[in-house]
Amino acid sequence: MIGYVSSLIIPLILCALSAFLFFDKKNYFDAFIEGAKEGLSVTVSLIPAMVLIMTALSMLSASGAIAFIIEKSNGFFEKIGIPSEILPLILTRPFSGSGANASYTQLLSETGADSFPAFAASVIMGSGDTLVYIISVYFSGARHVKNTAYTIPVSLCAMIFSVFFCCFLARLFY
Amino acid sequence: MLGKCFSVLTLVSFVFAIFLGNTEAVAVGAIDGAAAAIKTVISLSGMMCLWCGIMNVFRKAGLVEKLSKLLSPVLSLIFPTAFKTGNAKEEITGAVSANLLGIGNAATPFALSAMKKMDENHKKTVATDDMIMLTVLAASPVTLLPTTLITLRRAAGSLYPYKIIIPVWIGSLVTCLFAVILCKLCAAVRNRKL
Repeated sequence: MIGYVSSLIIPLILCALSAFLFFDKKNYFDAFIEGAKEGLSVTVSLIPAMVLIMTALSMLSASGAIAFIIEKSNGFFEKIGIPSEILPLILTRPFSGSGANASYTQLLSETGADSFPAFAASVIMGSGDTLVYIISVYFSGARHVKNTAYTIPVSLCAMIFSVFFCCFLARLFY
Repeated sequence: MLGKCFSVLTLVSFVFAIFLGNTEAVAVGAIDGAAAAIKTVISLSGMMCLWCGIMNVFRKAGLVEKLSKLLSPVLSLIFPTAFKTGNAKEEITGAVSANLLGIGNAATPFALSAMKKMDENHKKTVATDDMIMLTVLAASPVTLLPTTLITLRRAAGSLYPYKIIIPVWIGSLVTCLFAVILCKLCAAVRNRKL
């Protein structure tokens, strides 16, 4: 039911657009073209910064650093209430959305979709987004900004808080 | 800022690559990453065109104004400068509503043009409070409909794929509030210093 409703959102927005374009009173088609052009020029201006940051992220995941940290710190995270199975997810999530989806799917198939680690991972996945990716994409839109001030500390704190709080919620609801 | 981020990530990967003997994988990773950036931008550009076009039509039709009037009591508390000056107000409203509807991909174009407008407006090298708030909100959005998660869970054979909805609501709402409050605190500390 909920999946059905949410699958309707985007088609409905497009239907609203088609209604405006059909009953064209204020030259809506030109307005669309104008907006779309602006959108395209913003995207093109993103390319250089995106290339730099995604190269670094890809190198990081290839270097095995994340896997190494998980291997060495095993046991410690269990003690503070975080199932060690979800560590790869927590560590890849800030950097890459598709990477997080991949490790989430892997976790579901390894531990079973209805297991506790899978449940905790689902809650964590639903309560945050790809932090480093969002910060780098958003600030590549603001080209004068060199110093992001307290953006990274605040979002990191929120993410760490989210992981603990979601594991707690997961225990409550599981 | 991005430059520093790049240096740290590269240095860490270099050290680990030498240490773990993954130098070849890292070399390939660098090339793949650069290619992936272009792929991402290309897939993003279609969406950017579509959503910015739609946004412009809705703006002409006066819909955005209505929505931002509806949301403005809350949003003017969260984004004081943007709502006082009116600069990037519509884009911020668009980005926040898209996040609320669970279409984060549609939020990116709005957020990017909002960032650009705010940046053009003051042209400083340090991020403004509103810019940071917009970024932090996007990184910890309130999730009403975790469709992707439910789909993945069902695909993996879960008997109760919808069981996560209530904890996800609570988790994302509390995380979002935590992030907003933390942002406001940091802004207060910074503005007192200046």
